[in-house]
Amino acid sequence: MLKILIPTIMLFPTIWLTPQKWLWTTTTSHSLIIATFSLTWFNLNTGTGWYTSNEYLAIDPLSTPFLILTCWLLPLMILASQNHMSSEPIKRQQVYLSLMVSLQMLLIMAFGATELIMFYIMFEATLIPTLMIITRWGNQTERLNAGIYFLFYTLMASLPLLVALLSLQVTTGTLSMLILCYSDPMPFFTWSDKIGWMGGLMAFMVKIPLYGVHLWMPKAHVGGPNAGSMVLAAILLKLGGYGMMRITILLDPLTKEMAYPFIILALWGVIMTGSICLRQTDLKSLIAYSSVSHMGLVAAGILIQTPWGFTGAIILMIAHGLVSSALFCLANTTYERTHSRTMVLARGLQMIFPLTATWWFITNLANLALPPLPNLMGEIMIITTMFNWSPYTLILTGLGTLITASYSLYMFLMTQRGPTPSHIMGLTPFHTREHLLITMHLMPVLLLITKPEIMWGWHF
Amino acid sequence: MLPVPCVLRSISTCLRFPKLVAINKLLSQYTVLLSFFLFSELDSHLRAFREKAAAAMPGSDWTPFHLTPGLPPERADIVIVGGGVMGWSVAYWLKRKEQVRNAVRVVVVEKDPTYSQASTVLSAGGIRQQFSLPENIQLSLASADFLKNINEHLNVVNEDPVDLQFNHSGYLFTASENAAHIMEANHKTQMCVGAKVILLSPAQIKERFPWMNTDGVVLASYGLENEGWFDPWTLLNALRRKAISMGVHQCFGEVTGFKSSSHKVETGDGDLLRLKRITHVNVQMPNSLEKQPVECAIVVNTAGANSGRVAEMIGIGHGPKDSMPGIPVPVEPRKRYIYVVHCPDGPGLDSPFLIDYSGVYFRREGLGGNYITGMSPEESEEPDISTLDVDHDFFHNNVWPRLAHRVPAFESLKVSSAWAGYYDYNTFDQNGILGAHPLVNNMYFATGFSGHGLQQSPAVGRAVAELILDGRYTTLDLSALDLKRILYQEPMLERNIV
Repeated sequence: MLKILIPTIMLFPTIWLTPQKWLWTTTTSHSLIIATFSLTWFNLNTGTGWYTSNEYLAIDPLSTPFLILTCWLLPLMILASQNHMSSEPIKRQQVYLSLMVSLQMLLIMAFGATELIMFYIMFEATLIPTLMIITRWGNQTERLNAGIYFLFYTLMASLPLLVALLSLQVTTGTLSMLILCYSDPMPFFTWSDKIGWMGGLMAFMVKIPLYGVHLWMPKAHVGGPNAGSMVLAAILLKLGGYGMMRITILLDPLTKEMAYPFIILALWGVIMTGSICLRQTDLKSLIAYSSVSHMGLVAAGILIQTPWGFTGAIILMIAHGLVSSALFCLANTTYERTHSRTMVLARGLQMIFPLTATWWFITNLANLALPPLPNLMGEIMIITTMFNWSPYTLILTGLGTLITASYSLYMFLMTQRGPTPSHIMGLTPFHTREHLLITMHLMPVLLLITKPEIMWGWHF
Repeated sequence: MLPVPCVLRSISTCLRFPKLVAINKLLSQYTVLLSFFLFSELDSHLRAFREKAAAAMPGSDWTPFHLTPGLPPERADIVIVGGGVMGWSVAYWLKRKEQVRNAVRVVVVEKDPTYSQASTVLSAGGIRQQFSLPENIQLSLASADFLKNINEHLNVVNEDPVDLQFNHSGYLFTASENAAHIMEANHKTQMCVGAKVILLSPAQIKERFPWMNTDGVVLASYGLENEGWFDPWTLLNALRRKAISMGVHQCFGEVTGFKSSSHKVETGDGDLLRLKRITHVNVQMPNSLEKQPVECAIVVNTAGANSGRVAEMIGIGHGPKDSMPGIPVPVEPRKRYIYVVHCPDGPGLDSPFLIDYSGVYFRREGLGGNYITGMSPEESEEPDISTLDVDHDFFHNNVWPRLAHRVPAFESLKVSSAWAGYYDYNTFDQNGILGAHPLVNNMYFATGFSGHGLQQSPAVGRAVAELILDGRYTTLDLSALDLKRILYQEPMLERNIV
């Protein structure tokens, strides 16, 4: 663990001491080397269930996929920001990179934490660099509003989590995940226990985001810069899912009855946000709502608390992280050229950018869960486990799949097909860097078709 | 306000009679004092609290950072330079054609909130279909249809309906001997396209309009329907009100320049061209040094008489002569005078908008015997455009003699007032310029109408909105008026320019 964490921390001196000419090259290649080394985490072969452990940081089959995704995404984020940051003064570029690296460090510590309180602290700490990235380098005047929504939604929901964690510490004597799995289930019968259950899970529900408390997400995505959107969609949302998976170990018998309304809310949210996607005119907003839709399915899968549910949730989170981030990068390339995110003003791009049309095509197919991509694997497992829980959920999930397919195709047809308007005839061609960025997003998704067991969590 | 004597009396009472009753009285008096002090200002305290609470709720626009009022947004999808009737027509049609609400963010930037020099409001306000180019006739017909049904289009709920004061009195063009055949050919074109125009012989003219002197007139063409005049200020405000109600942002400021990105491309013939793409519009706030660059995807140039200058800001016209970058947009301001005259024995209420072959024109204004008259000067005698001062000698020397010859009643008239306005004169072929420039892909033009812009503005707005949102003309095909004819040097001449 430390052999990944220390090099990440050493990115700080790298950023501040490298000559200006080599700043972006050095940071990108350094983080890419860290990402390559993080792939060794796939080789999990000890008997305890926890690997590379010291007292504070450890990994297990649940956290490994998220950690590797986090490490993989940092070079991609740096690659994506290179263009729009090139016009800023060097100090500001270094501050931006430092914020991203600090976010990375906190995320590694969050996913690797063995103690729930440490996880909580890292969970909260990731809000600060993200807030700075969104409000300082975001796109419009509404970015201030976006930052406030983002910060306060998560903070409001996570203060009860702190109280719940501290009271659980008092009851169980420890909150270390290494030990908690061996504890007896605790008696939760009173009303205050139920409120405590809510407190424990509310923060993660806001982070996932669950449908009723998702309002901060389209704002944060539209108002944020490209790298902010990438990290938000790919990793920060998964913090919520991961946290939910960890804490439900403690809250077990109560979850069977308390989770009912939230599962229904999540499934309803899949359909609602999918329908909203069909009415969107802003490309980034469409992708943000599509994220909420997919994560609704993930939330339902986690709250069901079955092996297939958990496995499906992890697979869908990893696949969604990569694909959603790729979609944001593609949307950003259009935005950098036409200076508008409105879909009606940038149509028919297939004629002028054919290779990029291929990336759009593959990414949209992945978004609509085309077999044999891992997105489908995750969705099918969650849908199956929901069907096992109650056959009527098939109506909701089936309708949700249909709507997902229609808005993904809508996005593809609106941006790529159709007559090319005359005012986008003279756009600059794509850079190799942009093609590399999308390829590095899509390659893991395609490779995961061949060996999905590595991200199946505990049940592989 | 504080009843001090009461307090002192109470204290003295208390000291003299140290009993519970006195203390009670003191206490009650203090309570009355305190409550008097608190409750008298309770109203204002409550009002202030209510205002602060309303400002904190979502939906209010209070922010802790003081933003200059009237600043344009940092980002817009389409920026329309010039807030005259053409600009607001484009804005209205863009909002009307978008399929989802707020699909495109449109900002209209206008230099002068008083519209003191805008061609729109200084116009004579006539609308006619008697053109020689079929596209012009189609534009005017479509616009007349829009204006006749204006409340269907521009009505805003809970506001007064629009009253354009559209006088359907028709235009009367007269032709001399050597131009009669042109008038007949034009009449045929007009009938083909669908305008209701008839040709009149001098006898028929005399029958309809006995006040006219048909000396030298061989033929006249008279518009029976969809021709006349209306109030341009009302049209401008109606378009503006409706567009703002649909979500268009209005900004008062001057466009001082553009930021653009450019890259070189090689054409099929091997020539190297520099393609520019506008990324930001620099808007300067009025009476201030403050500037705001508005990031945008498309710019629509509807700056009227200043369109040539705006096009120069992006570099159209700067290049080696006879190359595509070197050809400027040929729109320049030309000053035209309008004189208001009072003649009680004049032609009367049924007089049309008469345009004589000598160049002079007049129309009735209102019901009190006032008429508006004017004339386009010769090419060589163009007045100076630096101010909008009126030259009254022009009236006495050029306009009045010709007017009095044509309408004898006008021999005795009195000039009550006059004003001058600019034509956005297209020096190339005096017809409108529409479409995008090939070298600056995202700047659309709708300018250069040379005196017939106001009457074509509703249809032109729809055409430009179709170009932007659909990519091509869908209702009227106006490719004859495209900007590329300027670059290919193929003029589309209009013979009936007033």
